[in-house]
Amino acid sequence: MASFHKIIVIVGFISLFHSAFSAAQHRSYLRITSQEFTTLPLDIVVQAVSSLFAVMWGVLNVAGNLREIRAAAELNNIKWETQRNLPSFYIFNHRGRALAYDYIPSAGKAELENLDS
Amino acid sequence: MAELLLDPNIRLWVFLPIVIITFLVGIVRHYVSIILSSQKKIELLQVQDSQVMIRARLLRENGKYLPRQSFAMRRHWFNNEETGYFKVQKRAATSQNPMTDPGMMTDMLKGNVTNVLPMIVIGGWINWMFSGFLTTKVPFPLTLRFKPMLQRGVELAYLDASWVSSASWYFLNVFGLRTIYALVLGENNAADQSKIMQEQMSGAAMAMPPDPKAAFKAEWEALEITEHKWALATIETDLLASFVEKEKTH
Amino acid sequence: MSVVKLKDNKPEPVAYSDAALRNNAVVVEYCRTSMAALSGSTAGVLGLTGLNGFAFYVFSVVVLWVMFMIKAGPNWHKYYVSRQSLLTSGFFGALFTYVLFWTFIYGMVHVY
Repeated sequence: MASFHKIIVIVGFISLFHSAFSAAQHRSYLRITSQEFTTLPLDIVVQAVSSLFAVMWGVLNVAGNLREIRAAAELNNIKWETQRNLPSFYIFNHRGRALAYDYIPSAGKAELENLDS
Repeated sequence: MAELLLDPNIRLWVFLPIVIITFLVGIVRHYVSIILSSQKKIELLQVQDSQVMIRARLLRENGKYLPRQSFAMRRHWFNNEETGYFKVQKRAATSQNPMTDPGMMTDMLKGNVTNVLPMIVIGGWINWMFSGFLTTKVPFPLTLRFKPMLQRGVELAYLDASWVSSASWYFLNVFGLRTIYALVLGENNAADQSKIMQEQMSGAAMAMPPDPKAAFKAEWEALEITEHKWALATIETDLLASFVEKEKTH
Repeated sequence: MSVVKLKDNKPEPVAYSDAALRNNAVVVEYCRTSMAALSGSTAGVLGLTGLNGFAFYVFSVVVLWVMFMIKAGPNWHKYYVSRQSLLTSGFFGALFTYVLFWTFIYGMVHVY
């Protein structure tokens, strides 16, 4: 769906450029024939405005999805497994690691204090 | 006021190039500032400090759910006179003056280099290269007050105020294209997302005490005066009582 | 989702997700800047001058707002805190972009 809107944006841009080009041509034609500029031809106006709307609508959909702003709406999607994930209860220094086969006992508290060395 | 007729070559070789140059210089400046910007590094020691602070605070607040011996053990680890963490760790008081911090100085210098310098250099170059052209006409009438702003470099007393000179057109672009940079580069978008992620990852650990020494002392005191009162001392009777209540209501 | 119901709910606070609010603000800002640039270009192509051009800006702001409403559908309450602020916020910030593009395209098309 997003690619469809991107195509709308691109086509709208091309159309907008084309109408700009037509307007410039019309203007130079008027100047050559030394007529007074009043308004643009209707087809250029219609093309410019309609391509503006097309690009705006495309950009609106390309820009990204709106998210629901209610805090509860996001929480509804969380699975209960995720709810049990509590960062405060992570333990990185569990005594069980002493059971690992490649465990090297630390020298004690001094090691903690000289972390930066 | 007679209609002025401008040479179409001015459009192709002055008007358009100024827009393109301004736009591209802005993009280049963005990427240069990304290259120059230094990631805020977090010292391991600072993270350790803040985590210790969090642990001490948790112990103070929720220690009542621990048995007395466990609470005392944890407090001992923090507060013991000889081996307690808050007593043993010695942190130098950090200097408060940002001027003495060399990292801050270079950051400021980089900000100046990437923001002010290109503006002066490119502005001067455009002034010299494209000087003295009338580039365009604003499509709405303006009062004479705007003349020095919009017609820099073209001092003609009888020119209509809505004509714009090349130098002024450059400055209009500099100020007007800012929102377009945000659109094209999408920097706010991307940067914000990653920032939110980072904050979620490290959480409160980022909020480091500015002066660890004083913070440690305050936390030590707070922990020292905390009185342990086990909240679960009468848990069995409470639970049984609640069951009895429930039975009664049925 | 009428206004009356909202007032009834007033005592109980509604919790908004900060990240979602910011995400929506980014999307709205993106659309608004694009709208300003595009409608400025269109105004330049059409050769609008003077008050007509500013009227066109107001017109396109309203059109963008209507498009937001169409996109959000009937339950816009899920996405925006207020409809009015969606219409009015950043009105003058985008105006500058609009004027720049208006001048640019007007100069490209009509002056020379």
